[in-house]
Amino acid sequence: MTASGVVKRVGSPLLFGVAFLGVWELIVMAFDIAPFTLPAPSAIWSAFIERFDQVLEETLVTGKNALIGFLLGIVFGVLMSLLTVRFVGVESLLTPLAVAVNAIPIVVIVPILNNMLFGTTSQVPRRLMVMLIVFFVVFINVSKGLRQVSATHLELMRSYAATPWEILLKVRAPNAVGYLFTAMRIAAPLAVITAFVAEYFGGVQSGLATGVRNSLNGSKDVTWAYVIGASVLGLTFYLVSSGLERLHGGKQNSG
Amino acid sequence: MTETSEPIDVTRAVEVIGASMVFNDGTPARVAALNDVDLVVETGDFVSLIGPSGCGKSTLLRLIANLLDPTAGDVRVNGKPAAQARLDQDYGMAFQKSGLFEWRTAAKNIELPLELKGWDKRLRAERVGEMLDLVKLPDRGSNMPWELSGGQQQRIAIARALASHPPLLLMDEPFGALDEMTREHMQSELLQICAATHTTVVFVTHSIPEAVYLSDRVVVMSAGPGRITDTIDVELGGTRNEDTREKDAFYGKITEVREALRGSEMTGEARGIEDR
Amino acid sequence: MRVGLAERALRRTALLLAALGLAAVAWEVYKAIGPEQGGDIFGWRIIPKTNDRVMPHVWEMFAEFGRPAIGSGDQQVWSVLLGYSWFTLRMAFAGLALGAAIGVGLAVLMARLRIVERGLLPYLVISQTIPLIALAPQVTVIRGTLGLPQWTSAATLAAFLSFFPITVSTLRGLQSVPKASLELMDSYAAGWWTTLVKVRFPSAVPYMIPGFKLAATASVIGVIVTEITLGGLRGVGFATIDYSQKVTSQPASVYAAVFAAAALGLIMFGLVVLSESFVMRKRSRETT
Repeated sequence: MTASGVVKRVGSPLLFGVAFLGVWELIVMAFDIAPFTLPAPSAIWSAFIERFDQVLEETLVTGKNALIGFLLGIVFGVLMSLLTVRFVGVESLLTPLAVAVNAIPIVVIVPILNNMLFGTTSQVPRRLMVMLIVFFVVFINVSKGLRQVSATHLELMRSYAATPWEILLKVRAPNAVGYLFTAMRIAAPLAVITAFVAEYFGGVQSGLATGVRNSLNGSKDVTWAYVIGASVLGLTFYLVSSGLERLHGGKQNSG
Repeated sequence: MTETSEPIDVTRAVEVIGASMVFNDGTPARVAALNDVDLVVETGDFVSLIGPSGCGKSTLLRLIANLLDPTAGDVRVNGKPAAQARLDQDYGMAFQKSGLFEWRTAAKNIELPLELKGWDKRLRAERVGEMLDLVKLPDRGSNMPWELSGGQQQRIAIARALASHPPLLLMDEPFGALDEMTREHMQSELLQICAATHTTVVFVTHSIPEAVYLSDRVVVMSAGPGRITDTIDVELGGTRNEDTREKDAFYGKITEVREALRGSEMTGEARGIEDR
Repeated sequence: MRVGLAERALRRTALLLAALGLAAVAWEVYKAIGPEQGGDIFGWRIIPKTNDRVMPHVWEMFAEFGRPAIGSGDQQVWSVLLGYSWFTLRMAFAGLALGAAIGVGLAVLMARLRIVERGLLPYLVISQTIPLIALAPQVTVIRGTLGLPQWTSAATLAAFLSFFPITVSTLRGLQSVPKASLELMDSYAAGWWTTLVKVRFPSAVPYMIPGFKLAATASVIGVIVTEITLGGLRGVGFATIDYSQKVTSQPASVYAAVFAAAALGLIMFGLVVLSESFVMRKRSRETT
């Protein structure tokens, strides 16, 4: 990329961001808006610095829930899609279910999980919720990757008299790896968002959403301090997973 | 340039004078698509542009259509600057992929240029009916493009290009995606349509028989940089029809064009750049 | 072609029902053999309790719809939930409409001006990686200051969630018009807006539909989560929380509320699918 290309790619977003914060700050100043209504960016920043330790603590709680649920979801998603590619019956039962689950606001089952699992003293319901969401994303994508292999490759393998197991290992699985990374990129921010939303449904008094919730009646700069925590967490998940995806893609292109 | 058809009109349909086209100038990806090209197309002529990939034949067509502006030189259509000719809708255009809009019926596709020109609804319907008759698809107007065969789609695209009766038709490998049988059939149809409507045609192709069969003149181009290396007059005498393809004169012209193309290949270093 | 589609939909529905049936059987089997008070694995409390209070029988869940609802006089659960659902659905619609207006507007703006696309798109992507619902308290305060009715908070947050898939899919659609189509419009000397209306939008439709599907689901989620976060909005989301707090008296009510929420999501999704088959009715199957 040329130097002017870099300036264009980084410059315009930077310009937009600075302009946005500037206008926000100016509006708050010009109309003398109380921090209870809308805090200025500068006020948010100082609230964030002031409460840094507390925000960090809640961020780690939510982050841990998201991460554990994320990893479990991947493991189960991959296992299930491997299973369904071998057993067609399972696939035809699970796929319509996965499509339906995608269309419904499945987070509403958090209260049930809370009740089932002593939610008031445990982070487990939240992690299970994250796991469930990630599971479906991974399952749908990896199944697609295992299934959408080139017909030529399959015919070739058949001409080698390869067993289904060998076909899975040599053709289907390598094809599905890219899909897995894509699924991870899609699911990573969802994991954070789900972990966060699950906290709203009650349960243990910890995590970012609890922080936001407790600031409901207070000054909004505290709310925003937690929003910063949530943003950093979500972005981290996204950047790491999309970085992994790109790393894998790059390796495939050069190899 | 040779003067072939009788000069009925003093105004030339197309006049390209010293046109050059350079893409990505000043970067490592610089491509000289056309270098100092002169081309005259007399009114009523059928002229084909033929040459290897990267010879700039499609670029030349786009200069005439004013879809691209030459980096140097001048392009005049019907005696006007190309940009004005585009605004005045002095030409119609057809592409390799029929480019029909899949959300419009065949009739609605033909109607589009008339709609954009602000024609009255009744007049539009009338003209669409005429055009459907012209391309021999009178009862296909209400069909969606995907319900038509490849050849039928291309006929609708030609009808669309001719809907506003432009004096000039620009075609970019319009039959390139058709099978050989359909292709030969469409070529004859095109000749009939052009004879009936007195349309001047500039036709880009890389099929030698197609160029010879259709054209009054075949303009041979070569790559690296794109330029015109030869112009071959095709006089086959009388009306062309399917029998023309069997005549010795036809084969003779094919050989002539092929040799001109080989010669241009020798002189020009093939650069393997796509010509669009 | 119609028949084929209907057949496939029917088959899918049958399979879905079969899957749900199997899940119900698994539920009852676990309830019969699982520990009443749950249990631990490796110190994690992940063995669910099976007593009637948290795992009612499947038939209890359905019977619940006909029982009087807690805290609603002698009104039955189904009619209370119907009222809640209607409330939530309206807010979701408002949110989806707002999200669609913003989403399509932004896409057009970005398609028109490269600088806006370059400057804004990264932020839109970032905005989807963070729980925007965290802004609920902020949104509700501003709503209060502007004197807007309470439901507009939920609609705004639903719009926050639903605009993005619409923006991205619309932008992609507007930008993936075949080059020949654009050249054709150029050859007609048609302006940008004419090209937008006559070519870019129609050819973007197949791209926009998946975006709207995601957005429809997102709008329901946005409203439900807002109800849970803010309180005061008595919709389906509120019902799940409310009933789960009164779980001792009527445990199956929570499940009834969850079914209602699921139905809402499916209804919204179904509406988009219906409008898809209407909009795409004349297009070839290959283009979809």
